[in-house]
Amino acid sequence: MTIAQFLSVGVFVGAYILIATERVHRVAAALGGAALMLALRLTDGETAFHSLDAGVDWNVVFLLLGMMIIVGVIKQTGLFEYLAIAAAKRARGKPYAVLAMFVVITATASAALDNVTTVLLIAPVTFLVCDRLGLNPIPFLIAEVLASNIGGTATLIGDPPNIIIASRAGLSFNDFLLHLAPFIVVLMIAFVVVCRWLFRDSFQYHEDRVAEVMALSEREAIRNRTLLVQSLIVLGLVLIGFVLHSALHVEPSVVALLGAGLLVLISKVTTEDAIADVEWETLVFFMGLFVMVGALVKTGVIDEVSHALASAAGGDPLLAVMALLVVSALLSAIVDNIPYVATMAPIVGEIVAAQGDSPQSQSMWWALALGADLGGNATAVGASANVVVLGLAARNGTPISFWKFTRYGAIVAGLSILLAAPYLWLRYFLLA
Amino acid sequence: MRARDLAEDYPLVALTDDALTAAQLIAGQRRPGVVVVDADGKPVTVLPGSQVLRFLIPAYVQEDPSLARVFDERGGAEACVNKLAGRTVKELLPPKEKRYEIPMVSGDATVIECAATMARLHSPLVIVSDKDTIHGVVTTSHLLEVLLAPAGPQT
Repeated sequence: MTIAQFLSVGVFVGAYILIATERVHRVAAALGGAALMLALRLTDGETAFHSLDAGVDWNVVFLLLGMMIIVGVIKQTGLFEYLAIAAAKRARGKPYAVLAMFVVITATASAALDNVTTVLLIAPVTFLVCDRLGLNPIPFLIAEVLASNIGGTATLIGDPPNIIIASRAGLSFNDFLLHLAPFIVVLMIAFVVVCRWLFRDSFQYHEDRVAEVMALSEREAIRNRTLLVQSLIVLGLVLIGFVLHSALHVEPSVVALLGAGLLVLISKVTTEDAIADVEWETLVFFMGLFVMVGALVKTGVIDEVSHALASAAGGDPLLAVMALLVVSALLSAIVDNIPYVATMAPIVGEIVAAQGDSPQSQSMWWALALGADLGGNATAVGASANVVVLGLAARNGTPISFWKFTRYGAIVAGLSILLAAPYLWLRYFLLA
Repeated sequence: MRARDLAEDYPLVALTDDALTAAQLIAGQRRPGVVVVDADGKPVTVLPGSQVLRFLIPAYVQEDPSLARVFDERGGAEACVNKLAGRTVKELLPPKEKRYEIPMVSGDATVIECAATMARLHSPLVIVSDKDTIHGVVTTSHLLEVLLAPAGPQT
């Protein structure tokens, strides 16, 4: 190990410990680590800002920025509240039917929007409907956040780790639709069925309270019909752009930015309102991470780790895929899956390149995505959306403890990985 | 003009008083709030009407304007009474660490001192007090009346 490699690993591990233990703000840790890497000349400005392999991945940063702006505008329309209340009324206030509809809406929305936004939108309606039905909102909130993490796994834009994987692996929006979405549909069906058993004690209700749900007027939720139409048209165009981005030779980040620009231009939303929901902290966190991981690439650490892992798998691709799936799920349950995937993506990239282009080697990417995205469900701190829901529940006087969440989350994450393993084996090894 | 000249009698409620009674005191005379005192009669804080609304309207409705629109008003009065029933004034107040300092001025305070205190603390009224004596309160509307008087009515 060279001195440069030793130093870069030291800085990276130090920053990672600070991020995982939350001793300092994660943005400060990532930026501090990036600054140290630059100060120690373990990377340089040219590499950090302009290298495709070892620098800030601007595709990821701008794709997130564009989607955050679009989501920020859609939030103002009241569309989500409309859909959720209409669903609760269609379910005639029957608790299990309401829960099933809410989790399906959440999962579907999470595939197109980010998970945190989705749970922020569904949680208030959940409180309202549960209040009216005299139900405990906790099982509903837990089911929704689990569904958001499952649904987000289906697409390139559904979960930040997928955006990183797509960019590093050169995978398209359609690749995710073809390889992950079908499995996620099956997993969601299984999840809805499991919810019936998992939350079986939470579906007692009084018939006479149903009238209180039926009295809610979902049409009133739409605050600005013109903005709603404009947002839906732009979102539709952006989704079409994502599907066609490979054929059009346009990066997903460009599609998202064009959509965001168009929406701000045609709507009467002020620039301040449009960018109010941009999570600048998250974007800066990504940049810091990319510079740190880039230093590991530049100093050759990633190369050596990849070789070591490839030889540990003993040339057995199935073993490597299964190990990656399980280890990713376990690690994502306890640490933020964004830095984990940012670190693992170049390592997996090296291993896939060494194995050559085959369905087996490509399945490493899907194992990483499934493990990291679905593993986040296992504990209350496994994914950002989980933490957000815990905070919302506490503020509304129905706190969810770490262990209460984990008791349900671990079962669902375990079930997800149990189903993902045979899916990967069947699709990429047995039937390939 | 000094604060003691502007001070008017105002209802006081104790921390342990019934929350519904306090809300009715505000509603009855369309007051902007009431003064809350402790067991010794010393002012603790001001309970503005907006704080009563914060208690009545669920946080998730306050934070989501779209949800506020779908909330039907049927049974609204009954729901409000039910929510306040059996509660004390103390339960309506924000936690101690989140409360603003008491909006209070001495009897000698000028009109602008009163206005500055109310503006700084976002309070609809200011308590006028010297040592243990409460002279009364000055409300925003009374204060604005004094401040705008020289300008005369607009035509």
